[in-house]
Amino acid sequence: MGDEGNPQTTRRTTRASLSSTPNPKSSKGKLKSCNLLPLTIHDLAYGDESISFNDLISSLPGRRAQIIELLHLLGPLDSPMFPVFVYGGASTGKTSSILQTFKYLKRPFVYCSCITCYNPRILFESVLNQLLLHRRNESNRYSSTKRCERPSDFVNLLQEALHNVVDSLKGNVEKSSSKKSVGRASGKMVYLVFDNLELAREWDKSSNILPFLFKLYDILKMPEVGLIFLSNASPDTYYSDTGYVEPVPVYFPDYTEDELRQILMKNQKNPKLYSSFLEVVLRPFCRVTRQVDELLTAFSSLYQIYCEPLDDLGIVPNEDMKRKLFSHLQPHIGPSLNETFKVESRLSSEASANTNKCKGIAKKVGVSESSNEIDFHMSACAKYLLICAFLASRNPATLDASMFDSTGGSNNKKRKRSSEKSKEKKEIAEQELLLKGPGTFPLERLLAIFQCIVSVSECLPDEEAQGDGGLEGESWTNGLLSDVLLELSSLCNANFISKGGSCPLEGANRYRSMVSEAMALKVAKSLKFPLAKYLYRGG
Amino acid sequence: MGVDSPAEQAQILLRTRLCNPNFIYTIFSDSPDSNYSKLKYIMSSSVTEACNNSALLLGPRGCGKVAILEMVIKDLLQEYPDTICVIKLNGLLHSEDNCALKEIARQLCIENQLVFSKMASFDDNSQFVIAMLRECGLAHKTIIFVLDEFDLFTQGKQRLLYSLLDAMQSVTSQAVVVGVSCRLDADQLLEKRVRSRFSHRKLLFLPPSQEDLQKILQHALLLPTESSLPPQYVAAYNKKLLNTLSDDKFKDIIDSLCNFDATFNHLLRFLFASVSHMDTKSGILSLDNFKTSLSSIQRQPKLEALQDCTILELYILVCLRRLEGKEQETTNFNSVMKEYKDVHNSFQTSDYYARNVCLRAFEHLLQRQLISLVDNRGHSQSLEFRPVKLLISSHELHQGLKAYRSCPAILHKLLGLAV
Repeated sequence: MGDEGNPQTTRRTTRASLSSTPNPKSSKGKLKSCNLLPLTIHDLAYGDESISFNDLISSLPGRRAQIIELLHLLGPLDSPMFPVFVYGGASTGKTSSILQTFKYLKRPFVYCSCITCYNPRILFESVLNQLLLHRRNESNRYSSTKRCERPSDFVNLLQEALHNVVDSLKGNVEKSSSKKSVGRASGKMVYLVFDNLELAREWDKSSNILPFLFKLYDILKMPEVGLIFLSNASPDTYYSDTGYVEPVPVYFPDYTEDELRQILMKNQKNPKLYSSFLEVVLRPFCRVTRQVDELLTAFSSLYQIYCEPLDDLGIVPNEDMKRKLFSHLQPHIGPSLNETFKVESRLSSEASANTNKCKGIAKKVGVSESSNEIDFHMSACAKYLLICAFLASRNPATLDASMFDSTGGSNNKKRKRSSEKSKEKKEIAEQELLLKGPGTFPLERLLAIFQCIVSVSECLPDEEAQGDGGLEGESWTNGLLSDVLLELSSLCNANFISKGGSCPLEGANRYRSMVSEAMALKVAKSLKFPLAKYLYRGG
Repeated sequence: MGVDSPAEQAQILLRTRLCNPNFIYTIFSDSPDSNYSKLKYIMSSSVTEACNNSALLLGPRGCGKVAILEMVIKDLLQEYPDTICVIKLNGLLHSEDNCALKEIARQLCIENQLVFSKMASFDDNSQFVIAMLRECGLAHKTIIFVLDEFDLFTQGKQRLLYSLLDAMQSVTSQAVVVGVSCRLDADQLLEKRVRSRFSHRKLLFLPPSQEDLQKILQHALLLPTESSLPPQYVAAYNKKLLNTLSDDKFKDIIDSLCNFDATFNHLLRFLFASVSHMDTKSGILSLDNFKTSLSSIQRQPKLEALQDCTILELYILVCLRRLEGKEQETTNFNSVMKEYKDVHNSFQTSDYYARNVCLRAFEHLLQRQLISLVDNRGHSQSLEFRPVKLLISSHELHQGLKAYRSCPAILHKLLGLAV
């Protein structure tokens, strides 16, 4: 139960998905009926089912201390509170803890995430929609109740909305005091939860949105309102010009290894087997990352490998078996530690079966094919463009003429030798390259190099047939050139080439290649193009 | 719900008090040389003598400027009913002239039961405000303008401030402009034409003194004897509390709190956290409550973030620190990776991971804000090439490594070599 996934969805669906985790079927029906009925004041709180304190603690392993601190700060029913600032790294269960805590307390709250509400206007309108019990749907053409762009309008509307909500909550309390009803919002406090606040820092540099949100409590002057901010950045990263009123901090540390074990053990079909698996993999992986989402993706494929020798997945492994499984898994741990993401889909596993066959053939040829394959399709033209862009970014523009003269770069043997003379010079150049990164180039240069390379690569395979192949090659290159610009724009869109700002003197756009050398070499290899020959190596 | 334990009732009572600035600051209303008395004198003279006035309340955040002002206004409203009209603006909301004038017009309309037109232009609103100022002046009604976050109003052309202060130059109007700002140089930010129309009354608000602190503590935390709470409980609670307050250990806690940040607001947050941690079974505010709340209020986010790092992330930090020790001008991911590789080659560490894994760890560090990109320009560059810098000192890094549970010894050594 990390906080991943939850922030992206709106509050309603967040709640639906949260409540659906135990039994998805029943909540589906509820969701449907919920869509039909008009919203009432009780929809501001989780009404359907109640959870006990023990459920709350056990649903979020390793967060006991934090939940208790939150409960302390939220205080007993109807007690005012200072704004609270909850922070901690990514995937530490901040959102889940808050939402579950409110489910346990059954108090009315409004949840807004700065991911979905990606600018002030949407954030303001989202808060107001929820408070005014407004649901955007077809009949109102998915519009908000109030249009509100400025903080000043927001404060006025918010005050009005909050007064209404608080009044009706007070009315509720008086009514329900006679007969106790289940599934009602309790108390007369309303809580506003702002999630992913760190994103609001980048909204608009000039706007005062963050100081405004931090000061909202003082501006509203309503003791019935509690503010909770969630952020994965610590409070010290929020300092602005004249500072702000600091909220009470609550810190969610990253999970420790033991806590991670508890979390990963949740909902496992065969706990014994999985715990023996975790004993093997968890420790090395914790040295690299302790984020639940990343560990889960890494472990899902590893666990499959771990279980491969087993016929019966329900087996309780003994020591002997464990040793056997471990020796089976061990060669896979190292490589998967060095992978960032590998989401196993059915399609790719089939494909990998196919490549396994191919590999057998390729190995005979003597090239380790696996590292030289590009794992996506690209037209030949796009590949050439990619190489050209790479060259244009790597080589200094002054050397273009000598690189791509009529002899097709054959004279760079001489230069190569001379570059070997001064080794330290080369090193410095390499260092510079590491720091500076690829350079930029105008479109004309790219097209010129493209023209040269395409003509050269036409001639290259059979240099003897240069004379008669010329005309044919010409027509082919013309065909290629026709949609070069189209290919270029799609390469830009795929972020292989980035389109930078325009040069102040020339006015034209400048481009930059974003691919690594290894990648460029791979692409060149697939075209049988001698890229290394054209690379300027400093000196 | 009416059967709460007395401890819970007491907790709610205390929390309500702490969250209500009007309660907290009432203790300053008695003394004659307090800011409260001075401010009240300025404002009431303008009401009784029908003159214009302006003042600035300056002081660090969380020293009760607005709270005192609110108390004064509340008292004046009681003393002189129907002759005062309060307009409140906030620089965070209304720093733009157009918006501010609209808000003034809106509040004036509400106060005087007029119909406010949302469509009114800047000109209409400004004429309306001037007309209202004259009308109120003729009716001997004082308009009090409260401008919170006053420094933000001085951005731009200061048209609002100018037109307000200029209107007050006429004999017919009767208004008070009170600016509240945490910038002590707020009056220097004014344009010449505005400054010359401003009466330079400034009231300075400072963090509480030792005696004030003691007063506030007792004022906020002692339970009232005449209330719905059972008297035995109140007596026991108060006795225990007074004991705690006079304890030397408690004084140490308060000292360390005030060394960090001595403002009222900080103190109140500390008290709020302490009351929140109060044990509802015994219902007594103990020294431990204060201790835990002190540690939860005074956080060291950078050190915490270091404790959250994985071993690989620590390696990257140490490599970056080593590069900075070598006085290289710029560092980026690629140069860090080179250092990482060198370190691995010379020490044969067990933690050597692939480039993309390191890049992910690098991104985690950026997210934790232990490192940051030097400039936000050059978005077209990919992350590997963009220059970065450490946001922690080598001392902090050293401290963090020492506190880390299972920090590899090699990291200490590497860092030691760098320093």
